[in-house]
Amino acid sequence: MIKRILIVDDSPISIKIMKSCIPKDKDYELFDAADGQIGLEKYKDIKPDLTFMDLTMPVMNGFQALEEIMKLDQRAIVIIVTADVQVKAVAKAHDLGAFSLLKKPPTKESIAAAIKEAADALAKRG
Amino acid sequence: MVRNKNTKEMITAEETDILQEIMNIAFGRAASDLAEYIDIFVILSVPYVKLLHAADLPPYISKEIKDYDKVSVVEQNFWGKFKGNAFLIFPSGTGKKMISLFDGGDEFIESDPIYEMEKETFREVGNILIGACVGKIAELLGDVITYSPPRVVIEKSHRGIVSNSLFDPDNLAIVLRTLFEFNEKNISGFLFIVTSQESFAWLKTALHKFLEQYE
Amino acid sequence: MVDIGLVVLDKDLRIRHWNRWMQLHSDTDADKMIGSLVFESFPNLKQPRFINNCKAVLTFGSFSFFSQKLHHYLFPFKPVSSFDSQFDFMQQNCTMGPLRNEDGSIEYIFIAIHDVTETVNYEQKLMEMNLRDTLTEIHNRRSLEISLKEEIERHKRYGHPLSMIMFDIDYFKRVNDTYGHQCGDFILKQIAETIENNLRSHDIFARYGGEEFCCLLPETSIEQAANLAERFRQKISQKPYRYQDTNIDVTISLGVSTLNEETITAEMLLKKADTGLYAAKDAGRDRVVVEK
Repeated sequence: MIKRILIVDDSPISIKIMKSCIPKDKDYELFDAADGQIGLEKYKDIKPDLTFMDLTMPVMNGFQALEEIMKLDQRAIVIIVTADVQVKAVAKAHDLGAFSLLKKPPTKESIAAAIKEAADALAKRG
Repeated sequence: MVRNKNTKEMITAEETDILQEIMNIAFGRAASDLAEYIDIFVILSVPYVKLLHAADLPPYISKEIKDYDKVSVVEQNFWGKFKGNAFLIFPSGTGKKMISLFDGGDEFIESDPIYEMEKETFREVGNILIGACVGKIAELLGDVITYSPPRVVIEKSHRGIVSNSLFDPDNLAIVLRTLFEFNEKNISGFLFIVTSQESFAWLKTALHKFLEQYE
Repeated sequence: MVDIGLVVLDKDLRIRHWNRWMQLHSDTDADKMIGSLVFESFPNLKQPRFINNCKAVLTFGSFSFFSQKLHHYLFPFKPVSSFDSQFDFMQQNCTMGPLRNEDGSIEYIFIAIHDVTETVNYEQKLMEMNLRDTLTEIHNRRSLEISLKEEIERHKRYGHPLSMIMFDIDYFKRVNDTYGHQCGDFILKQIAETIENNLRSHDIFARYGGEEFCCLLPETSIEQAANLAERFRQKISQKPYRYQDTNIDVTISLGVSTLNEETITAEMLLKKADTGLYAAKDAGRDRVVVEK
């Protein structure tokens, strides 16, 4: 079951948008971080069930943060959130262990679908 | 933040943030659509938004590109509710790499002056790149835009790229800056999108409308 | 009728509108064109540049411009007037843009075609005039300077040799003083013609000053240029020019230069050739001096 969600993005607006799109009825606990480095620390702290990760960020970018998180926890569910969905970037995200990729700007529907997919995968793992 | 006599036309920090995120999305989508539909592969860096006095615009751009000795520039005007100018600026020597990336050169008559060929390649690539970036911003903000044919200058000094007379010097201007890179041929340069105070009123409304979708 | 071609294409690049102007110039009725792929009638458009620009318009709502300068034309039509025209096809400036539905989505592309044949014709004639010497009809100094700049650029890119011969007519003032200026002009014309006949088509031969001429020789080493200069010297000195029943002997002095490690700019190349020319004069005229 998904309880804690971490959003890593350097844009406060983007975090605001993400939060507003996440369904309100499930009482998720939402956390956020302003770059990959902070995101990594927060991840260790709160052990989220699901992480939304922006790609272009200062200090530590999304790919680097994804790599570090996967080293830490092979079962981590990280969804890359990006506007640039070029084949190469998608392939790299998958190679680094991303769970899936979400296109920016998100919508209520696309976020709900992404969370459901993650929850289903978690349930299967048991 | 720069303030002006007329506070109505001020752009707030939050609005700058929204614009920044919209640029982020717009340029990301431009890059992926360029790759998917037109086989042009670009990487666009995190865009940067700056509000300044129009009079400070030419020195600002000169300073940004000061590492380039000579430059080639593609300039294009765009008109919509969002209106302004776009400048694509490449360092000296880009033309040759660009030609080998986009052209076999087969369409050109051999006696055509070499600069003409560079110029036309810049014109075509520039037109598509600017159209993609500006077009995506407009799309996200719900605007429809018309463009002037691109103008090209080749191997020019980096000073005085942007004319002082572009905007009323007493007005404010917003500069959107991004660094882009073609992954294959090691071509990189700057894209500046400049919009004047005339568009501010509309821009403010459009930015809030964009955010409202999520509230 | 509007004096502009208008074509509308859908997303698959099928023709959806073909205005009267297009019907006239393509000599095909609209109903024959509508519904067909634009490449069916115009296979020349099946190239990445055209297709990419169509896709850019459909994807981004941007505009595309096909300049006459680069593309010459998109639709190969006969020129309206064949009189005094140097073109086989109508020269066109074309603009391409999106046509939007009410909700802003893009379903069609329009292409507007302007016939610019006459303007380009006129432009080229003016340009040509601007680059020719009126007396000898060979290139003028301006034209040489433009070509020189381009050739040096080409040399920098591809490293092919580039050489120059500069020459002037010995004792030309004496010809003018003895036989009159008309005779002087006659000699200038004759010499220009003699040299022109001994050059390749891509060599640039210009009247540089009063009685001074300059040949820019792409793909030519300094040895080849020196041989060519010697041939010029012989041709001119062996051939007396005949003006109103008088035989006039003229000779020329020549300087030769080439681009190399120390000669890298247009100015340096000209200066070296000029130095050679003056050295030839000093050494007694009617000779070639190579400045390495």
